[in-house]
Amino acid sequence: MKTFFCSLVCFPILLFGQDKAEQNKEGERLFSLKVRSILESKCFACHGAEGKKIKGEFNLTTREGLLKGGETADDVLVPFHPEKSLLLTAIEWKDEDYEMPPKENDRLTEKQIAQVRRWIKLGAPWPNKERQKKHVLAERSKERTEDGVILKTSGGLSEDWTYRRYKDEDVWAFQPVKKPAVPKGAHPVDFFIDKKLKTAGFQGAPVAHFRALAKRAYYDLTGLPPTPFEIYQFRLAWDKDPEKAWSDLIDKLLASPHYGERWGQHWLDVGRYADTGGYSNDYERSNAWRYRDYVIRSFNEDKPYDEFVMEQLAGDELWDQQPKGKRDPELLVASSFLRMGPWDPAMTLVPQARQIYLDDVVNSVGQTFLSTTMRCFKCHDHKFDPLPTRDYYRMYAAFAGTQLAERPAPFLKSENLVGLQQGRSATKRLLAFATEKHNALYNKQEAAARKWFEARGKKYLDENARRSLPDEEKPPRLVGLSPVEQGRKKVRRQDEWIWKRRMERYQPMVQGVYNGPTPKSLNARSMRMPKKLPANQKLAATRILLGGALEAPDEKVTPGVLSAIAVPVSKNEEDPYALPDKLSDRRLGLAKWIAHPKNPLTSRSIVNRVWQHHFGKPLAGNPNNFGAKGAKPTHPELLDWLAADFVENGWKFKRLHRLIMTSQVYRQSDSHPQTDKLALSDPNNDLFAYRIPRRISAEELRDSLLKATGELNDAIGGLPVRPEINMEVALQPRMIQFSIAPAYQPSPTPAERNRRTIYAYRVRGQADPFLEIFNQPNPNDSCDERVSESVAPQAFTLLNSSIMSDRAIALALRAQKEFDNLHLQVKRVVQLAFGRVPDKVEWERLKQYVTEMQAYHAQNKPVPIKYPTTITRSLVEELTGQPFEYEEILPVFENYHADKKPADVSVNTRALADLCLLLFNSNEFMYVY
Amino acid sequence: MNFPTLNRRDFLYGLGSTLGAVAMTDLLAKEKPGPLAPRKPMHEAKTKAVIMLFMEGGPSQVDTFDPKPKLNELHKTESKRTGTLEQGYKFFVGSPFKTRKVGQSGLDMSEHWRHLPEVADELCNYRGCIAESLNHPEALFHMNTGSRLGADPALGAWTNYGLGSVNQNLPGYVVMTEMALPQGGSRNWSNGFLPGHFQGTRLRPTGSPILDLQSPAHKTRKHQRQALDELAFLNQRHMARHPGHADLATRMESYELAYRMQAEVPGVIDLEGEPEKVREAYGMNQKETAEFGRQCLMARRLVEKGVRFVQIFSGGWDSHDYLERGHSSRIKSVDQPMTALIKDLKERGMLDETLVIWTGEFGRTPDNNRRGGVYALGRGHNADAMTMLLAGGGVKKGAIVGATDEIGAKAAEVAHPIRDLHVTLLHLLGLDDNKLTYFHAGRYKQLSQFGGQVIKELIA
Repeated sequence: MKTFFCSLVCFPILLFGQDKAEQNKEGERLFSLKVRSILESKCFACHGAEGKKIKGEFNLTTREGLLKGGETADDVLVPFHPEKSLLLTAIEWKDEDYEMPPKENDRLTEKQIAQVRRWIKLGAPWPNKERQKKHVLAERSKERTEDGVILKTSGGLSEDWTYRRYKDEDVWAFQPVKKPAVPKGAHPVDFFIDKKLKTAGFQGAPVAHFRALAKRAYYDLTGLPPTPFEIYQFRLAWDKDPEKAWSDLIDKLLASPHYGERWGQHWLDVGRYADTGGYSNDYERSNAWRYRDYVIRSFNEDKPYDEFVMEQLAGDELWDQQPKGKRDPELLVASSFLRMGPWDPAMTLVPQARQIYLDDVVNSVGQTFLSTTMRCFKCHDHKFDPLPTRDYYRMYAAFAGTQLAERPAPFLKSENLVGLQQGRSATKRLLAFATEKHNALYNKQEAAARKWFEARGKKYLDENARRSLPDEEKPPRLVGLSPVEQGRKKVRRQDEWIWKRRMERYQPMVQGVYNGPTPKSLNARSMRMPKKLPANQKLAATRILLGGALEAPDEKVTPGVLSAIAVPVSKNEEDPYALPDKLSDRRLGLAKWIAHPKNPLTSRSIVNRVWQHHFGKPLAGNPNNFGAKGAKPTHPELLDWLAADFVENGWKFKRLHRLIMTSQVYRQSDSHPQTDKLALSDPNNDLFAYRIPRRISAEELRDSLLKATGELNDAIGGLPVRPEINMEVALQPRMIQFSIAPAYQPSPTPAERNRRTIYAYRVRGQADPFLEIFNQPNPNDSCDERVSESVAPQAFTLLNSSIMSDRAIALALRAQKEFDNLHLQVKRVVQLAFGRVPDKVEWERLKQYVTEMQAYHAQNKPVPIKYPTTITRSLVEELTGQPFEYEEILPVFENYHADKKPADVSVNTRALADLCLLLFNSNEFMYVY
Repeated sequence: MNFPTLNRRDFLYGLGSTLGAVAMTDLLAKEKPGPLAPRKPMHEAKTKAVIMLFMEGGPSQVDTFDPKPKLNELHKTESKRTGTLEQGYKFFVGSPFKTRKVGQSGLDMSEHWRHLPEVADELCNYRGCIAESLNHPEALFHMNTGSRLGADPALGAWTNYGLGSVNQNLPGYVVMTEMALPQGGSRNWSNGFLPGHFQGTRLRPTGSPILDLQSPAHKTRKHQRQALDELAFLNQRHMARHPGHADLATRMESYELAYRMQAEVPGVIDLEGEPEKVREAYGMNQKETAEFGRQCLMARRLVEKGVRFVQIFSGGWDSHDYLERGHSSRIKSVDQPMTALIKDLKERGMLDETLVIWTGEFGRTPDNNRRGGVYALGRGHNADAMTMLLAGGGVKKGAIVGATDEIGAKAAEVAHPIRDLHVTLLHLLGLDDNKLTYFHAGRYKQLSQFGGQVIKELIA
């Protein structure tokens, strides 16, 4: 600690060129408008909030307090002498013992520090409340000052917040979309990108090689690589007329049913799709797949985005409005969007469980549709954006009556129901096994109970009937069972629940929602709609929760929308942002507002995402957050042009893809003549001067492997499929509440397993390690951008996993079936993996490698692989700390059609498979250019 | 914080693969630092590494280190405490264990801690932590990642992000579990929004320690080397066609790192080389302690090799019933191994630089409800009070910090939420939670979510 000496007397010194009265007036104004709120927001929490202990014995709430100083120093404020004032040293972080505020994130900006400095220089005047107010009111009457613009909202918790000013560039997303003019004949994408490139002194990269273009288009639109034949076809057309060839290819791919799978995946990333509910039970959401298929179908049908939005937010309300008998179950399926987050009320009080759900759904809706992170203004008015906490709770109120239930909804003609019967009987068998085991233990317990009652000459009562009796009048719990049996009984009972629940998969039901009061108790194991809902339901009013705490309810709010964007929803001039209070109309009202053609957040949000997935980076850098802290758009005019055009033309995706892909910018090569210069001046390629190559995603990787080997079953939609995952992980015990979750059992036949990855069973508590390591996102959190860094464990997976070994063998077998000599087999596997034939040097060397491997494998015999049909689990009974074992059955392996393993194939196949494995590991396979 | 982007290394890969592979590996290792390269702490600090012993299920404070005589007086009388999950009739449960003062410092330990008293004067018992969550996965996520939602980076990930790793051939954050994963699974050691290099690597108790670490038995290391050289050949030619794309070189390098890890990991986890005496000291020769003993010994070896953060999960502490049986057997399974760990670290002069933490995800209640209609002698989940031990790494020795109320229901003195504990742990590692931030989804994020304070009372 440094010692501070008291400065004795401070003489006011006149500033040159300004008389004292003027100075004082400027100082007072500065204090009233700036300094006071700086002190208030940055200092008072520790140094002076009312009724709290004041830190460092230092009170900042009055001028006297400031002049008096604190426990370690007293020259905190020396009027007219900023350089002598510790206050300034502290806020500048110039002395490490006095860094204030202490948190990096709370530090004052340069500008704020300058304001405090100036105020001290001006004598640090501290006008009374009345005079402060005068200054403040005079300022508020000006809509725009050098500090920015006031945005009208429903109002913050403080007046300071309500009247604070924003820089235009920070609130760009809240301003109406303006469509800039594009010269006639110019391609709008090229026009805006070129304009900026030219200003920076660059030109765009030349057009890419036809093969790179073909791969790019296939991957971007379908998530699958083209076959060698498809590349060949494109080349023929390209040689005749490149423009037509390109345009035809786009049309062909947009018409492919795989388009919906690829773009549906992007949507499901943001919406957090999974087949289970997460948390401790991780209960299956048996019918979630119907929502996944709805999304895929919607993209394939080119459903206008505004409809897509409304169906997902209020499908059930739209369904209610349809005439009975003509209601479309698809609308109920769509509303599953509101059920996508992880949620389980187990061991949670009902109000808390509801709050967790509502916070989650509000945030999800904000991020997904409005690119607005709602969490930021749950506890207080938004720190940076014009989003008052009132608006948070108004949107929260829009969902206040939204209840969760599995609802009946007939299967649709368009739904793929293959495997339904088979799946039902497989599940039944597992249920029967659990029931049988449980019953045996139950009966043993009850036999002992019967004896207990008999011995006392009392009438026998079964477990349920005797539950409420006092201890002395009934046998001990789990009577007659050994500690091992006690543990087993609990496990079997849990299994029975699990398999019963999974039987729901085969019922025509949806993970749905309805409007009504909150049920008295909640259990994620079974959520059902009440048979009768009271007419004219009324909900308790929603209140602002201060600090986000249920314990601190404040002002009442009515349902409403975000007030910062000037898109009213009500004719009521007093409150144009209020939604109807009627329970059955709240979400639909909100949905209509989100899908309103004038809502600037919605249209910018979605076109930004589309752009992102075509170019590997969005125009506005944080697709889930358009606020002041999100990255600003690199090309705001282009973003607005696309948004306006998208809405004007009926919110159609396919048209937008076409528009983007027919630009020259989209067709650029990844190499640029001025690479080095660009690397310096534009390292992130914000100019879009060239194509950024991208590593294929986890799903694309698995799908591409299957496509290359010819194993892919490209059926669309249907029940979740279970690919083979790493067997150690599949069989490894996984804790759930009270028990161990049943083992992961892959689908029995290759045709069922080798479906596209989007159809793979997605368990929140058990990620497929193959997909996880390649950055398949965690479905507990909305993912607006996939990451793709290269880490060493990826190499382990790609080189050593049985999944990769199986694919390599499959490719080798395919080539061997098609060609009978090594020369052509090598050519064929390169062609199937890379979409090109090997050049001479490669061809010779790779052939040589395979020949060497033939010699190697002749000497090294692999071990056959066996799949277990039962597994013994051991568990520590959580109540007693006693370990116990039990047996689990794995019926799928009784009649399992395994992929060909090393021990099943010849030496030559293994040698060729070694090469195939390397091709799949190579960068050429992993990147799209 | 910014990491340097990796250099393009085409010149190195241009050396020609087979011969060049060894030289290239060497050169790369000496070249520019990767994301796991060691970094200086933000302020001077003693702790260089952390070993976290995570008692999953929530150990009971009053039956381990924080005895409450008052509770024994109340045994089986009605409890009217509210705000807990249990509904209906509740009754107090006295501790079934005797307790005594141990060490020079007089720490409290219940009778089944037979070995731990030997190191009592190295320990700091913290009684003020407030878990805030009532159910396992949320509380586990909270203690491990600072967030109840299970999508954020774990403490070990943040530590490696801040300090890097000393050994580039081993993961910087290693996790060991029982056969069964704790609730919430790998989300408990996730890298969250931090780059993938920071995610915890789980050493599996049986089978391959890291998934697919080794090639199948019929492929030798020599076979693997040749395959990697062929791969380098393909990648090199590919890179020549796509200059200016740094990711290609990074990805090539990841294969070489993987190859080095394949060689290094089995050596570290092979405990056969440890003297019988050491293995016995850790309890590896007894059924009850063999597994945890093995993991504790492994933890020491990993930290010795430069691993920054090691976590061991040991379950079974969720004693809603049969507390006497449950807790005594759990205590027995960890008592000797953790004592041996602390002694071993001390003897090797590593304890000052290694912070050992023993904790659960929350504490337990002084009362219980009737389960299945009978008096169940166990305890519920307690989000308001718990107990933990810290040792080494610059924390107080032989100290009790904080206190719970007279029945162990609520933290009463030096009471702090988990975020303050996290800020303190980072502080002990030389990291400042407010500066250890990562820009994600439009804002700077930190372990404590929105800041917290250092619990000064814990620091020596």
